[in-house]
Amino acid sequence: MTTLDYISVRKTFGATVALHSFDLDVKEGELITLLGPSGCGKTTALRITAGFEFADSGAVLVGGSDITRTPAHKRNMGMVFQSYSLFPNLSVANNVDFGLRTRGIDKHTRHQRVAEMLELVELTAFADRYPHQLSGGQAQRVALARALAVQPQVLLLDEPLSALDAKVRTNLRDEIRRIQTEVGITTLFVTHDQEEALAISDRICVMSQGRVEQLGTPTEVYRHPTTAFVARFVGSMNEFAAEVSGPGEVSIGGRRFGVPKVGDRQQGTAVSLLVRPEDLEITTDGFPGTVASVTFQGSTTLVGVRLDVLDQLVSVDVGQGAADGLQIGDRTHVTVNGSNAVCEGA
Amino acid sequence: MMQNPIGQAMSNSQIADAVHTAPTGMAPTIAGRPRSRWGRLVPNLVLILSAIYFIAPLLTLARFSLQNVPTILLGWDTLFDKWSLSGVTAVFKEEQFWVSLRLSLKLAGGTVLLTLLMLLPTAIWVHLKVPRARAFVEFLTVLPYMIPAIALVAGIVIIKPHARWFLNSELSLIPFYVVLALPFTYRSFDAGLKAIDLRTLVDASRSLGSGWLSTVTRVLIPNLRTSIISASFLTAAVVMGEYTLADTLLIESLPPFQQKFTGREPQAGYGLNLLALLSTTLLFVLLSVLTKKRDRKRKSFASVSARLAMSREQGL
Repeated sequence: MTTLDYISVRKTFGATVALHSFDLDVKEGELITLLGPSGCGKTTALRITAGFEFADSGAVLVGGSDITRTPAHKRNMGMVFQSYSLFPNLSVANNVDFGLRTRGIDKHTRHQRVAEMLELVELTAFADRYPHQLSGGQAQRVALARALAVQPQVLLLDEPLSALDAKVRTNLRDEIRRIQTEVGITTLFVTHDQEEALAISDRICVMSQGRVEQLGTPTEVYRHPTTAFVARFVGSMNEFAAEVSGPGEVSIGGRRFGVPKVGDRQQGTAVSLLVRPEDLEITTDGFPGTVASVTFQGSTTLVGVRLDVLDQLVSVDVGQGAADGLQIGDRTHVTVNGSNAVCEGA
Repeated sequence: MMQNPIGQAMSNSQIADAVHTAPTGMAPTIAGRPRSRWGRLVPNLVLILSAIYFIAPLLTLARFSLQNVPTILLGWDTLFDKWSLSGVTAVFKEEQFWVSLRLSLKLAGGTVLLTLLMLLPTAIWVHLKVPRARAFVEFLTVLPYMIPAIALVAGIVIIKPHARWFLNSELSLIPFYVVLALPFTYRSFDAGLKAIDLRTLVDASRSLGSGWLSTVTRVLIPNLRTSIISASFLTAAVVMGEYTLADTLLIESLPPFQQKFTGREPQAGYGLNLLALLSTTLLFVLLSVLTKKRDRKRKSFASVSARLAMSREQGL
C-alpha cells in the first residue's frame, strides 16, 4: 500500500489548459474518484499518473518518490481502460500473465499468481478462453486481474464500466469495490457517472475545467456541495430565484426559508437557491401547484409539480409509497427545506 | 398493410410465416413484390459473361502453352490433341531462368523486409502520434500510382553517377520496389491498424511494463498478422512482376528474362506466364485460408474495442 500525491500539476495541450495547478493526496488503500464532465481534466490527471502524458509543471509522488518524468513502463501502475484492452491474440491466462512475464518472474510463481488473480475475479474456468469469447463484464474483470497481477503500487481505473450495460455495470462496480478493499490497494477511479462515484468511492474529487471543485466523502459532496457546479453536477437540483431576506434566510415568492449557506450576503441580494428533490416536500401548505408528472423509480417516486406563484416546474422526491394516490392534474402544495440548499450569486 | 389471398389484412408474424411457407417454385420477394424472371436472369448473365471474359484468355493461354499443335490449327477439332507439360517445363532447362528467379526472390525478400522494417513502425507512429497527418501520408503513398515507373528510372539515371557504388548492385532495386509497392503495403497496414484499438493496446502493454520494442513484437505484430502477411504477399507480387525498372537498369530479374524468353521460345514463354499466374493464385488462396478463420474472430473483438475507443474520442 502506498500514497499518491499531486503537487501543483499543470498540463496544457496547445492553447487548452487541461489541468490548472492540480493538487490531490490519495491516502494508502483509499479509493478516490475523479468525477466531472467530459473535458474537465480527469482523464488527463489519470494519464499523467500512468505516465502516458507528462505534466508541464508540478510533481506526482508515489509513496513519496517523484515519478513525474518516469516513463510509463517503469512505473509500477496497474490500469484498467474503458475499452476492452485485452490483447486479442492471448488467452485469458496469458493476458493476466503478460505483465508478470515482462517482469521476468519465474514460471512457477507466474502460474500461481495467475491462478490467484483469476480466482479473485472468479474467472478460473475461463483461463483458456480468448477475449472474443468473453462478455464485456468478463473482459473487464480479466483486465482488472491483469492489472492487479503485477502487484502495482496504484490501481488506475479509467471509466471501466462505461461500456457495459446497466446490470453488469452495477455488479462489476460492487465487485471492483470488493476486490479493492480485499487487496487494499490505493486506487484512482475516473468516471463521469455521479451514481457510480457516490457508490464506490472513499472520497470524490469533483473537477471542472481542469480545477478541483470539491474534495470530500460521497456524503459531503452530495449533501454539502461547496459550489453551485458541484450541486448541479452531483445529483439533480431544483433552482429557485430568491432574495436574501436576512441573516441565514432567503425569500422565495414572498415566503421565507432558513438557509444556513446564505453566508454574509447583504439583505436584498438576488440569488439562485439550489435545492435537492428530497429537500422538497409534498404538504398541505407551502407553494400551491399542480402535479405534472409522477415517475416511479423503484425505491422512490419523483413527482413533478408546476408551482402556481413561480410558474416553475419542480421535482420532488417523495420516497416509497408516499406518492400513492397522486395523479397528474391533482392539486397539491410543496414546501422547501433550505438546510442543505446552496446559494449562488452575488 | 399486406393482405392475404382473400383480402384480409395480415399481421407481421403472419407475413413472416407466409414467406417461410411459400411454395418452392415461387421466386423470392423483395418488399412483397415478386421478382421477375428477367430480374433473376440479368445478374446471372452478367456473372457468366464476366467469368467468360476472365477465364477464356486463360484457357486459350493454357491451350497455346500445353498443346503441341501449331497455332493456326488450334480449333475445336484439335481440342484433345497432343497435350503435354513440355511447354511449361521447358523453362526449367534454362540456366538463366534459375539465376533470374533467384534474383527476383532475393529482391522480393529484401523488399518485404525493408518494407516491414520501415513502413510498419511509420504507420504505427502516424496512427499513434500524428493521426491528423494520416490523410497526408496516405496521399504520399499513392504517388507511385500517379508517377509512372519510367519517371522513377529517369530520376535514378540522374543520380546514378553519384551513387554508382550502390546502383551498380542488383539489390539496389530494393528501395525502389519499396516505393512502388507503397500504395498496397501502406493501405494494408493502415486497414490493420484501424481495425484494432491501437492506443489502448499500446497503453495497456506499457502500463504492464513493456518497452516499445516489446510492445511492438508481443502485442502489435501478432494482432496485425493478417495485415503483415497481406502486405508481404502484395509486395512480393509487385516485385515478381516488375519489368520497367529492372529492364531499363539492365538487371535481369524474372520479368525481363520472361520477356526475352517469350520472344525466343513463345510457347514455353507463355507456359512460364501460365505457371507464374497459377503460383500467384495459389499463394493468395493459401494466404486467404491461413488468415481468414482466426482473424475473423479476433477482428470482431478488436473492432468492438476500436469502436468503443472511437466513440470515446468523439466524446459519445
